[in-house]
Order: sequence, then structure tokens, then C-alpha cells
Amino acid sequence: MASPADRQVRISHVAGRYLVFDIDDVVHIRRHHGICAVLTGTMPQNPTQNLFLGLPVELHAEEARLLVDKGAGYIADELAEHLSQLTLASDAPARKAYLQHLKQQRRSAQQVFSEEKAKVQAMHQDKRKAKKSVTPPASSSEAPADTSERDAPASLFDTPASTPATVHNKKESSLPGVTPTTSQPLTTPPSSSYPTTPTLKNYPLCQYLNSRGYYTTPGLRFGGDYSVYPGDPFRYHAHYLANSYGWHEQVAMLDLVTSGRLGTAVKKGFLFGAEKPAEGGTSDRGDGKEKEKEVRVFCIEWAGM
Amino acid sequence: MALDDDDNPSLAPSPSPTPTPSTTPPAQAQATAEEQADLLEEDENAASQDFLAFAASLQYRKTAGVSAQTIRKGEKDFESHGTRAQADALEQSRGAMRDVLSYTRVHPGGGAAAARGWYFPAWWEGYQEREEEERGKEKEGEEKRPFGFVRERVVVLEGSSVASQALGRAVTGQAKDRPARGRDWLLPEEALYLVERGSLDLWWPVKELGEIFPPDGTVKEGKDKEVGEEGEGEEEVDEYEQGFPLSLQAAYALLIGNDGERGKISLQKFQVYSNLKRCGYNILRAPPPAKTSPEPIIPTPITTTLWQWFTSLLTKPTPSPPTHLPYGPLVQPGLYRSYASIYRQMALLPRHTPSTPLPPSPSEPTTQEAPFTIHFHVWKSAQKWTKLRHPPPDFHLAVVDAQDSSVPTLSQITPLLNAMPSDTGRPEWATGGAGRMYARLKHGRRNVLIAVVDHGVINYMRFAEGGFVGEELFGRFDGVRRGGGKGGGAGGGGGKGGGRNNGRGGRGGRGKGRGRGR
Repeated sequence: MASPADRQVRISHVAGRYLVFDIDDVVHIRRHHGICAVLTGTMPQNPTQNLFLGLPVELHAEEARLLVDKGAGYIADELAEHLSQLTLASDAPARKAYLQHLKQQRRSAQQVFSEEKAKVQAMHQDKRKAKKSVTPPASSSEAPADTSERDAPASLFDTPASTPATVHNKKESSLPGVTPTTSQPLTTPPSSSYPTTPTLKNYPLCQYLNSRGYYTTPGLRFGGDYSVYPGDPFRYHAHYLANSYGWHEQVAMLDLVTSGRLGTAVKKGFLFGAEKPAEGGTSDRGDGKEKEKEVRVFCIEWAGM
Repeated sequence: MALDDDDNPSLAPSPSPTPTPSTTPPAQAQATAEEQADLLEEDENAASQDFLAFAASLQYRKTAGVSAQTIRKGEKDFESHGTRAQADALEQSRGAMRDVLSYTRVHPGGGAAAARGWYFPAWWEGYQEREEEERGKEKEGEEKRPFGFVRERVVVLEGSSVASQALGRAVTGQAKDRPARGRDWLLPEEALYLVERGSLDLWWPVKELGEIFPPDGTVKEGKDKEVGEEGEGEEEVDEYEQGFPLSLQAAYALLIGNDGERGKISLQKFQVYSNLKRCGYNILRAPPPAKTSPEPIIPTPITTTLWQWFTSLLTKPTPSPPTHLPYGPLVQPGLYRSYASIYRQMALLPRHTPSTPLPPSPSEPTTQEAPFTIHFHVWKSAQKWTKLRHPPPDFHLAVVDAQDSSVPTLSQITPLLNAMPSDTGRPEWATGGAGRMYARLKHGRRNVLIAVVDHGVINYMRFAEGGFVGEELFGRFDGVRRGGGKGGGAGGGGGKGGGRNNGRGGRGGRGKGRGRGR
């Protein structure tokens, strides 16, 4: 695995949305790039609840572009790539590698299965033994010869119990099916030609907050563009609900009151900010990326006097 | 907190995890501002995803069943204070998330035991005309089958599981020699949902459909046996001869598309679909709106008790619509014995009666415009529900994106509501008289749910058509002279209120009503 500094996160672009499927990527961007985004998938372990969701992670367009601009990720057109890879001839190396990888996963899955089965069996045997060791004291009045007699059928019973299991294992040589989360060996490494995301209105504010270590999540829950956390949302509550404006955009007073009051009601400050346009328009986007543009941010709280 | 209870802004955005409007509003209306804040705080906690607890519960689940509700919600800090304990806790949470999420979907037994889906996107592409035919037949009432979306079905199901029983559709009326006859075909969202929850193995076919599912049934069984033997067999290359399994990533790539693409579903709609499925709702794609205009809804008359009817005979002559002179006072001078006759003369503004659909005027669009169209029909989970035979839906749902759309305009919401069946809430509300007035107003005469999706975060909103016309307050002023006639508010316009807060129109006149009895 590549060192954290130069790991390239694969961002799947599916129908205008940005998804991340690889758990290593998800952990990586969470740890090193301050992006937690939203888990959207169903948890296969417990699929009838909505509290804990699984892969894939859906990124904002802003977050996807942030990763690309940082050089930490690349965007892949999943549909086109998959179609081209899937329709390859059956002896293509990519597909062979994919199937090989799959087989390996199935083998390890079976290994885990059999290990678990063995563990369960061992546990049952332990229980049985524990029961056995508990029962004699309970019937301590019985003769010691009696216990030995009882031991014998128990051991007799144990051996047949283990033999069918091994037979079963042999019979079950058909490996369990596996649905991998990513189509890893099948997908190709980054294609530099893929267009990056379009210009985004909220990008400057998003970038500004991210560069200062804040985490953002979609703000729908609290009625803003983003909820802003002072660190990983695993540990902290959101401090702000943020809206992005244009530098010259008129901000309606009522919006300020509404959002400020709304934020206060959920114990958050209302944060809004805009990017100052480049002076004189001399710097174009190319070198503008290097030098940080000025973003001004304000925070409003409802005083309630 | 300096908030008065009756215009608490936190009511509006409060995300309700379940779309059951009938149960939530009464409780929420009574909650004070503090409680509201706590509720929201809790909601945030719910989103905090303490994977540590979840992972622990999964471990525990192996021995005893634990529902998701028992998972303790995570405790959070206000901000970073640089201690190692905090860093460790964070690290543990991250580790737990990683452990939980790196789970691989495994289908034990392999081969034929697990449900398997084959991706055949082009199979039903040319089905359009037959569908029309079937719909024509449907109108005659011979066989009533819900609209099938056969053209959209792209995954054919092999084998079955408990989770897939309520999904999919076999296409009937096929020639005997058609391959895969009688097989269930899945819609993209159904297939993707099953893949995600680990109940389906999606395969990419290398061969044609006819080779995988030979037309004749007996041959097919033989083939099944063959697969079983293959599974036991020594060489696994044969197993991938017909096709090979796809990853979750590939499933998303193939099944998620833009709106209107055949055989695909937009990510937002899929997220809503799976969210409701996880909650246990039954959910089907809504059939396309009928070409004919919806038949007018017969207004259900508000039933009166015998006593009410009797007293009305004695006291009031039939109120004729008042005529106004071209000049002079609005209320004609004269002797009035009741407030009702005065108020009736003052009612000048035309009001919208929600029980009748608006007449289609040229200025008003009658067709639903995207994105405000009904996408899903939702049913509460019930034993009787099957995918082919089910009662009218409990909820009608439209899905919109939070970033790309704004609050629907009147011209957007009107056709949507006009297409809805009349829904006046519980029967006891209709007979409940004045006491249940607010329940009736809040519930509205017709309603539609709109799911707002913001990058994976879903919020359900209910838009109802308020029935203020049916709730005349002045009628009560002539009743028994009580100390403090509750309520007030001057009639209220033909409100097409939005959100969960509609029906609040009566609030303004509270003081007025109270002072009257003294």
C-alpha cells in the first residue's frame, strides 16, 4: 500500500454523483484530508436499521474537487470504465486478475467460515464439558463408578459429532459466493484525461473550512448548506451551520435572522462566508490555486435580549 | 433560550427519521422549545454513528438479537482539548468504523443456493407496445395487475431469498419458447438494494440469456443440477463460463443513472428507496400518471349528529348566499340574533375548496412537472401486502434534490395534489366536531410527501392542502355561551399550506376569541 502522503483516492463518478467505495480510501480521507462525507449504503450485517449505514460514501462535488486539487485523488467515470472492462475478451489480463482476486476472497471467506464453525463447535464442547463437570458435584451422592460410566457415552457421542462435520466440510468444497465491494483489479489506474469537476459556487468556503481543519457534512439536517464540525464528527458536535454567498451578493436581512435564529435553536452558530474576488482580475485560475484567496467568514448568534 | 413556544423555528427543519406524519405532529406540537432543541440534538447524535457501539452490538448479535434501538448513542466532546484520552477514543471509533465497514458480502453455500441476478439490460428494451396493450386490458377489468415497468427491468433473478420475495416481477403472456420464461425480473433499485444488503449476487453474463436460461423448463432443471455438480467439481473455470460476479461498485455503476435513463435509477431516488426499505416499508414505483384527467373527488360531507341537525332545523333557516348592494355598509343594518348571519355577509373573498380539483385553466399547468412528480408509492408494512395485490398506497412520495430545487411553487404543487386521492385522516376526526378541528386542519384534505435528499441525507416533508373552508369558526359563536370560546382566527384563506406547520392559521386570533365571553 502506498504511503499516506501519495495515496490516490479513487472517486467514482456515477451519474453526476461522487462516491467512494474503498474502505481504505474512506478511512484515508477521513484521517488525512478532513473529509468524512456521508455513508449511504445498507449495512449487510444489519440491513433493517437506518442509524448505521455502510459503503459507499457519497462526497459533495466540492469535496471531490478538493481531493483532486490537493492531488490526493482522481475521478473515474465508473460506468464507461466498467463497460469497457466487462466487455473485454474472457482471457484479458484484467479480468483474469479480477477473477483470481475473487477466488482468493472466496477461499478466505471459506476459511473464516470453517474457523468460525470450529470455534462454535469448540465452544459447544466446552459447554458440554462444563456441564459435565458441574453435574457430578450436584449428584455427589452417586458412586464414582457412575460418573465414569457417564463419561463413556459422552465421549462416544463426541466422536460422531466431529466426524460428520469434517465430512460436511469436504462436501462443501464449493466455495461461498462473494460480492466484493470494489472491482479492484478490474478497474484501471487513474486516467488523467478525465475532466475535473466544474466550478462550484460553494467551493471557496468549503476549501477554507477544510484547510483549517474543520469537517463539513451536508447541512440539510439543520437548514444550511453545511454543518461544520471542529474535528472528526465521531467526537464532536457541529458548532456551526454554514451558508456560502457570493462576495457581492446581497444577503437578505431576513435570511440572516432566519438562519441565525435557526442555528441558535439547535445550539449552533450561523456561519456565512464568501470569497473575495481577485484584485484587478490579474491572477487567473492557474496560479490562483497556489496563493490562497481571501475568504471572509462571519458568525451570527441570536442574542435573545 | 429565548423562544416562545408557538413559533419555534426548529419545528420546520426537524428531520423526522420516519415518514409517519400521522403520529409525529401531535407530540411535536406540544413539545416546548427546549424539548425541541433536545430532540434535534438527539437527532444529531443519531447521525454521529458510534460505530464502536455498533460493532459491539454486532458481536453480541451472534448470540442474542439486539435491535438497533438498543445501541447506545455516542457521547461527544465540545471541542478538541488535546488529551490522549480523546485521541484514543477517536482512534477507537475510526478503527471500529473500519472494522465494521470492511465486511465483505458472502453468500454461503455458493453456486445455486444463493439468489443470483443476471444483468441483461437490453432484454426488455422493445417491450413498450405490449405494455400498452396490457394496460388497455387492465382497464376492461379482466385482470388487474399493477403497472410493471417491464422496460426498466434489467436483472433476472435466479433462485430466491426471503428478502427478494416482495420484489421483482415475472412478465406474463410470453411465448412458450422464450428463454427465462416465468423468471422474476428486478428493477434497478430492487437489484441494487438486494446486492447492498447481501441478499443477491449480481452476475455479469458472458453468454446470451437463452443459453443461461434455456426456454424449456426441463432442460433448465438439468442445468441447475449441472451447476451444482460444477460447484462440487474440481475445475472452477467452468463456473465462470456463463458469467462472473460483479462488485458493489460495478452494481452502482451499472444501475445508477440519471433521471429518465432506461433501466437505471438516480442516486437520490435509490437512497430514498433503500432508506424506506430499511425502515420496513413496502415501496413500489408509482405508475406513470394516467392520460385522462383524474375523476373529481366527491367531497365527503361532514356528518352531523341527529341533535345538531335538529337544532339547525329550529334555529337557522337555510343560509342563502348574501347579496350585497352596490353601496352602503357591508353588513346590512337590521336586527341580528346570531353572529353567523353577520359573518356570512362579511365573507367576501373567494376561497378554494380543497375537495374539488381546480378547474384546468389555461394559465395553470395540469401536468406534473419534474421533479415534483410522484415517484414512489409507499405502504406501511402489513402482512397482507403482496407485490401484485395491495391496497391503495398509504403515502405518495416525490423525491427532489436539496441543491437543485426550491420550495415548489403553486403551479408545481397543484397538479401534484390534484392527482392525490382524498385523505381526510382518521374517521373520528370528521365526527369529532370542533375539538378535532386542528387535527383536521393539520392533516389537510389531500397530502403528498416530498423526500428532500442532500447528498445522502434525507428529509421527509409533508405537503397538505389545508381545508379551511370546511371549518367555519363563527358557527360556534352562536352555540352555548361558554366562558372562553377557544380558538379564533378569521376564517383563514383557502390555504395550501406547506410543511408540517400548516394549519397554524388559527393562531393569530387567539386573544379575540378569549375576550368574547366576558
